[in-house]
Amino acid sequence: MLPLLLLIPLIGTVAIIFTPAKHAKAIALTASLFAFIFSVVLGFLFDKWGTSEFGLTAEIPWFETFGVSLNMGADSVSMLLVLLTTLLMPLCVWGSATAITERLKEFYSWLLIIETAMVGVFVATDLIFFYVCFELTLIPMFFLIALFGGENRAKACIKFFIYTFTGSMIALVGFLYVAWFHANQTGTWTFDIDTLTSASQQLVFIPFSMHWNFLGWNILDIDITAQHLVLLALLAGFAVKVPLFPLHTWLPLAHTEAPTAGSVLLASVLLKLGTYGLYRFVLPMAPDAVVEWAPFIAVLSIIGILYTALICWVQDDIKKLIAYSSVSHLGFCVLGLFALNPLGLQGSVLYMLNHGLSTGALFFLVGMIYERYHTRDMNSMSGLSKVMPIWSFFMVFFVLSSVGLPGLNGFISEFLCLIGTFTASLDNAAYPGVLGPWYAAIAGVGMIFAAMYLLIMVGKVVFGPLKEPAVHHNVRTLPRDLSFREISILLPLAVLCVYIGFRPQPFTEAIEGSIEHVLSPYPARVERLARQREALLSPSVRELTTVPPEDTPVDLFREETNDGG
Amino acid sequence: MMGHVDQLASTINFLTLGQEASHAFPIAQAIDEMKWAGWILWLPILSMLFCGVCWILRVRGKAPAWATVFLLGSSFFITVALFMNYSAPVTIHLFDWINIHWAGGSLVANFSLYVDKLTLLWMLFVTGLGTLIALYASEYMEADLGVGYSRFFAGISFFLFAMSCLVMGDNLVMLYLGWEGVGFASYWLIGYYYQKPSAVAAAKKAFIVNRIGDLGLALGLYLIYHYFGTVQYAELFTQLQEGVDAETAAKGGWMIKVIPFLLMLAAFGKSAQLPLYVWLPDAMEGPTPVSALIHAATMVTAGVYLLCRMFPVMQLHELALPTVAWVGGLTALLAATIGMAQYDIKRIMAYSTISQLGYMFMGIGLLTTFGAAYHVFTHAFFKAVLFLTCGAIMHGFAGQLDLRKVSGLRHMKGWKITSYTMLYACLCLIGFPLISSGFYSKDLIMAQAFITRGPGFTALGMIAILTALLTAYYTFRVWFRVCAGETKYEMGDEHHDDHGGVEHHPHAPGPVINFVLVAICVGAVASIFLGGWAESMVNQSSAQIIDHGEHLVGFWGDPHRWMPLVASSVGLLGLAIAWWFHLANRKAADSLRALLLSNPLTRWLPTAMENKWYVDEIYHALIRAPLWGVGVLLYMIDRYLVDMLLVDGIGRLPRWMGRAFQPLQNGVLQSYAISMAGGVGLVVMLILYMPKLLAWLGGAS
Repeated sequence: MLPLLLLIPLIGTVAIIFTPAKHAKAIALTASLFAFIFSVVLGFLFDKWGTSEFGLTAEIPWFETFGVSLNMGADSVSMLLVLLTTLLMPLCVWGSATAITERLKEFYSWLLIIETAMVGVFVATDLIFFYVCFELTLIPMFFLIALFGGENRAKACIKFFIYTFTGSMIALVGFLYVAWFHANQTGTWTFDIDTLTSASQQLVFIPFSMHWNFLGWNILDIDITAQHLVLLALLAGFAVKVPLFPLHTWLPLAHTEAPTAGSVLLASVLLKLGTYGLYRFVLPMAPDAVVEWAPFIAVLSIIGILYTALICWVQDDIKKLIAYSSVSHLGFCVLGLFALNPLGLQGSVLYMLNHGLSTGALFFLVGMIYERYHTRDMNSMSGLSKVMPIWSFFMVFFVLSSVGLPGLNGFISEFLCLIGTFTASLDNAAYPGVLGPWYAAIAGVGMIFAAMYLLIMVGKVVFGPLKEPAVHHNVRTLPRDLSFREISILLPLAVLCVYIGFRPQPFTEAIEGSIEHVLSPYPARVERLARQREALLSPSVRELTTVPPEDTPVDLFREETNDGG
Repeated sequence: MMGHVDQLASTINFLTLGQEASHAFPIAQAIDEMKWAGWILWLPILSMLFCGVCWILRVRGKAPAWATVFLLGSSFFITVALFMNYSAPVTIHLFDWINIHWAGGSLVANFSLYVDKLTLLWMLFVTGLGTLIALYASEYMEADLGVGYSRFFAGISFFLFAMSCLVMGDNLVMLYLGWEGVGFASYWLIGYYYQKPSAVAAAKKAFIVNRIGDLGLALGLYLIYHYFGTVQYAELFTQLQEGVDAETAAKGGWMIKVIPFLLMLAAFGKSAQLPLYVWLPDAMEGPTPVSALIHAATMVTAGVYLLCRMFPVMQLHELALPTVAWVGGLTALLAATIGMAQYDIKRIMAYSTISQLGYMFMGIGLLTTFGAAYHVFTHAFFKAVLFLTCGAIMHGFAGQLDLRKVSGLRHMKGWKITSYTMLYACLCLIGFPLISSGFYSKDLIMAQAFITRGPGFTALGMIAILTALLTAYYTFRVWFRVCAGETKYEMGDEHHDDHGGVEHHPHAPGPVINFVLVAICVGAVASIFLGGWAESMVNQSSAQIIDHGEHLVGFWGDPHRWMPLVASSVGLLGLAIAWWFHLANRKAADSLRALLLSNPLTRWLPTAMENKWYVDEIYHALIRAPLWGVGVLLYMIDRYLVDMLLVDGIGRLPRWMGRAFQPLQNGVLQSYAISMAGGVGLVVMLILYMPKLLAWLGGAS
């Protein structure tokens, strides 16, 4: 079933290529709508909601000698993200109807190709297939920015491409290393994610140390394991994508220059590839390293939350403001992931959905303004609610959802991420973690900042005395306020926001099992860490804890890595 | 000071960490019936949706107002029915909200109602006053028919929904929902005149300042969840009644003791206390019914409600309640001094609200939750009347609010009811002996200052008495200026569109406004007789205090006996001063001000008071401006350091490396020869010294 879902947009692309340009929009809309309906049907057919298992699996061989396949399957989290993707796609197509007037064929075929790639990322159960899809998202986005972007598009698309590509190359090296390790141990190559995950967990028994003593100075003093290296490699790929401070600078640029549909997809889905990668690969593959390094990653996310929030405050360009706010918001999402407890992960996964809905909608709203006035400068407009009441209503609504007003979707995820982080301290008997109250308390200041920059933006643009930039003469087809088409884009998103805000229950229950599975390696490791910390404090306990870890190491590479070090 | 604390701890049965506590208020049991109580929440939502539909259809009639009044009224009657059916505290489950379970733990925060007497006390006046003020607004907002009328009533309805969630929720997360919800409703309604930049700025300020408090609430909530494993009141109270076990206390360390301070921060934000009070005076930019309902009677008392509801938690630190008392007392004094020097009557009332809220917090801190809650109850009525009369004046005089420009209202035709209801409300505010409700509720609090032992509580009592004097002065300054004296007026500069241009004559309030004024005044009178009832309400809830201090004997021994005398004489003194300066001899006030201003030594006093002690400016200089600067700086860092230098720099590294060798490719044969020779030499050197180099590298590791 899933391969069919991947094929639908591709069939659309082929159809677009072989028909006149005037049909491109209709075909794209049909294909994406069909894909959405089909994925909803799949959602009903999917019988693994609430469990950790993968459903709708399909096995398609590819390069069998290397164990590479096109295997697909979805667990509940992937299924939700697939639904988010396919939901946003028709909206993006529908939303570009008036904005894109030239090169229709290219635009809509790239949109459909990116849909296939994004869905492919979420449903791949083979690492190479995952990686191919992961990289495949870059090319359509590159062209969407390069062909349909704003003034500075050349720089934006190249930076976006090279930056994220470099990151994911390093991640690929990490993946290949794990696969090679597994092949070395068992003699067979495979890229099955499940198998490699357990192989990667064994990497903790391969030490990696580098000590350089130069003229009596300890220049390098590294004592880690191969698993830490894998963590670093994967982080390089996914942290750029999320993006995590300080790897975020491609994002404001790419967002500002991309066409509306591109920005929406970028914010709603492409950034989620990063967090999904963290959830699906980093957490299960490198549990020992994560337990040790989670505080550092958390500190980076907290810096990102506060740093970008303050930057948002001084922006004049609405789109840039929302782009930066994405960085800030995703900081909460990453923080929740590294809380390593069910609350934090629930919050984080829901954050992926909710951020997709509300920030996607905000980018749509900015696009609608841009289409009318051809400016996004906050200082050139004011009091738009006088002439655009419907637009203003939605703007305020989605800003509130983004600010995390309880009763809307943003609150649920932000609340869960923060409470997860807060309770993730070593001394928490219910579910120990490596973060704790201070992390959440400092990140919580981001809540205040978010209210500040978003409401100041709303205060400038939506309220106040009316000041309108000159209406762009090209746009005679658009009414002053939103057209029926535009309302029909925002309304489903708004309804979902309210629904998730009041009934998160179905969602949290659906992803429970998957989260439990991802978290399964953690409690034991965190406890071990807690005991080690204790031992550091009280020497009498030290003897108890210096015994090697319970699982016996499969220690094949000790000599080789020693040499390498 | 610690000695005082010890005494304080012994006066009430403190919930000492690691020991059995002897709190024994009834805790709610879950029941399955009474789901109909949920309609208290759903009717306002229904009303909001109806108003939304009216907004979409651009209804020009009063349908939104009548629907709102009807639905809110029904909500009030359901509350009354709930009160009638009440026998013991219950929780009523409506639907699951956040409900996450895993092996070994859970986070349960459902849409459930916690109904005990504290809830009912609050809900009765919230829904009752909400209905009456919506009725008042139906006339007051007439000028906006078809423009913002539906939007206004949708906001009022949403506010009632959020406030009901806040008061009735059975867990802290639902309280948080209501807490931010009322904050948003307040944002919505303060910014009602959205084309006025001052209104937009005020709305924004209210929301953002409140968010600081909200963060306190959120962190308090997380801490409670962290240490008690639950956010539901029933479970939390059960644990607290059994006493915090030594293990939790030890694990909690100092952090568990921070909880009361975080909750306090939240309460100070919502209830406009130091240091977060600055948003409330600005909030007067909203339409007057909003000021009356949200910023005087109901929403701003949410902080008092929170501390009453969480009273057992507030005892986790022995200094928490004294802090509350002191902050309340100081806020009361500060706001009163500012109120004395303002000319805008609505702002004076706003400062008066802050000041009275200060009394309420003082009451909580002084361990008379009954006094605090009773003062909330009486204050809700008389302050609503005060605001609504201000609103009637503003409505009639085209936005005129300057007390120097309207005078002798009571002699004018059609303004009698306004003048005399305002007089009664003023009397209540100053605590006029016997006939006013404020007399009974405020004295409870002030007397308690001389009963409860605590750090500097006697001095606090003195401050309270001083504040009572100031209150009497500024209250009657308004009344004597506006309602008494010779009749003269100047119209304001806001003109209703429906009058087609400039208005020269004031129009007296219509029957609806007059009816509401009288009705709420009747409520204020009734609240005098409800003291005993309110006491029983508070004492059977989480705000229960078993023993608030030794009851001293003898007239001067028992502050409850002499305080009414002292407070009334102080109040009458303030009234007399106001009478002298603002009715009998109005010029004296101006000459006194001129005198103070002419003397360089005293010039600062009226200047600072009129400029609200420059608190806004100080906040701006200390917090907002530096943060903005940091924002600009970070943006620069992001653009130039992180992006240009680091990212682009690394990106350009290959190109630079290419450039570095560019001179070598200069096309001159000799130089190629030289570089070739050099290259060969380098390779040879490398080969020769490689083993040594490797050894050195290896040896280093």
